[in-house]
Amino acid sequence: MQRRQFIQSLAVAGLSSLVSTETRAARSQPTLRFLRPPGALTESEFESRCIRCGQCGEVCPNRCINFFATENGLGSIDTPYIIPREQACILCMKCGEVCPSGALQKITREAGEIIHRVNMGKARVDEQLCLSFQGKTCGVCYRACPLQDIAIRTGMLEQPHVTEACVGCGLCERSCIQIPQAIRIIPQQTREGLS
Amino acid sequence: MNRLVWLNRLRWVVLSSVMLLLILIPFLHLYQTYEAAHAYDLLTPGEKFIADSMETLTKPFVTDPAEDLNGLKGTTWSGKLFGLALSDPLSVVGQSAAGKTLYWPFIVTALIPVLLTVVFGRFFCGWICPATLLYELNDNLGAWLRRAGLPVSRRRLDRRLKYLVLAAGVVLSLFSGAVLFAAIYPPAIIGREIYYAIAVGGFGVGIVFFLLTLLFDLMVARRGFCRYVCPGGALYSLLGHFRLLRIQRKVTHCNDCAKCNVVCQFGLDPWHDDFGQECNNCTACIAVCPTDALKFEWRRFDAAFQGPGHLGHEYKKQ
Repeated sequence: MQRRQFIQSLAVAGLSSLVSTETRAARSQPTLRFLRPPGALTESEFESRCIRCGQCGEVCPNRCINFFATENGLGSIDTPYIIPREQACILCMKCGEVCPSGALQKITREAGEIIHRVNMGKARVDEQLCLSFQGKTCGVCYRACPLQDIAIRTGMLEQPHVTEACVGCGLCERSCIQIPQAIRIIPQQTREGLS
Repeated sequence: MNRLVWLNRLRWVVLSSVMLLLILIPFLHLYQTYEAAHAYDLLTPGEKFIADSMETLTKPFVTDPAEDLNGLKGTTWSGKLFGLALSDPLSVVGQSAAGKTLYWPFIVTALIPVLLTVVFGRFFCGWICPATLLYELNDNLGAWLRRAGLPVSRRRLDRRLKYLVLAAGVVLSLFSGAVLFAAIYPPAIIGREIYYAIAVGGFGVGIVFFLLTLLFDLMVARRGFCRYVCPGGALYSLLGHFRLLRIQRKVTHCNDCAKCNVVCQFGLDPWHDDFGQECNNCTACIAVCPTDALKFEWRRFDAAFQGPGHLGHEYKKQ
């Protein structure tokens, strides 16, 4: 690389770091779709309360909690995230129990409590991709859901309909047999950004 | 042979145990996930080995590994030691600043470390910190490199720099809303990176920073990070300013050999009674002293310079 090019790229990098965090977050949203563990505070609050101790990941029996390097910006380094298509949350609520700093709230493992207080995101069905909506009875997402008939209902040909009670655990997205998946979790922080 | 050298040996045992625990905890976590999955037959040979060895290790103590082992989690930054939640005071300071709130259930977890520091001073740095173990080994490496004729720098900077780092960290955390100390505090980094390497699948970004601090220690100042930069060391020093237990020199036993000053990695001056809040109780000076002139004593303040040692030449001349 020529020296001039190198200096130019440095200048570009320097300038782009000056762009406001909101703009950068908005820009990164379509590519980086992640969930915070269940019981997480809102995104900005979570980042300021999480002390990056990693205990939520150490206690997760499903090994679904991973930790950011620099992908989501410097403010998110070493904070926990879940990619539901890789490994989804089984709502055991152990991470909230072990979290020392209150970034993940303690929530008891009862359906009512979970529906009321867990808000990782909401599932959304892409009817163009969903087999049931294409006339091939499937229903896998419905069967994977830990809150069957509460968070997700099925209609004709097992067509899934997500309700407001969905907590966004991602087990439906994990289990979807279509590639790419026809049901996806829209993360809570994205929903907040959109509204 | 010095009678008190066992103190320093005990310290090495404690430091190594902390490090071993930090390595063991991620393996216990893996074992728990294997148990929770109820799929022993599907494990790879390597995973089976981990499951088997952890089972042998924990069998006498637990009935249900998936639940019972949750009492042993985390790192020295914040963790559970046999069910007791403990946190580094720096994590509490950092989080309170970043979140602009006081979250009491978290603050109480730092109570025991704070009380111990008020009594024993900066003992965490010498006796617990997993980074200290590596920094001391790094210092030994530095000594070998020096002997081999390589330029290992031993510059002296201003000790007060680390208090500036602590203050700047609090202010920046307030404005940025992120616990910045977590990214630059070596014990937090070490604990986390060991866990990442064993259970998550590779080191994170923190390891780069830690390697840079090792280089800093070799190329700029002896134990430079702990002495001049570490915000945790600064906080512990401040908390331990009025410590009750101090290493003191018995002037009647001292022969002015000055070995203590050479061995002190923190660049203190035990020979001239200068310990202060910076001393991390590492007991290296006690262990090296040929006349047992250095001892732990219960006292609120350091003695002022007591003059030359009574067994030394200078005192005999007088």
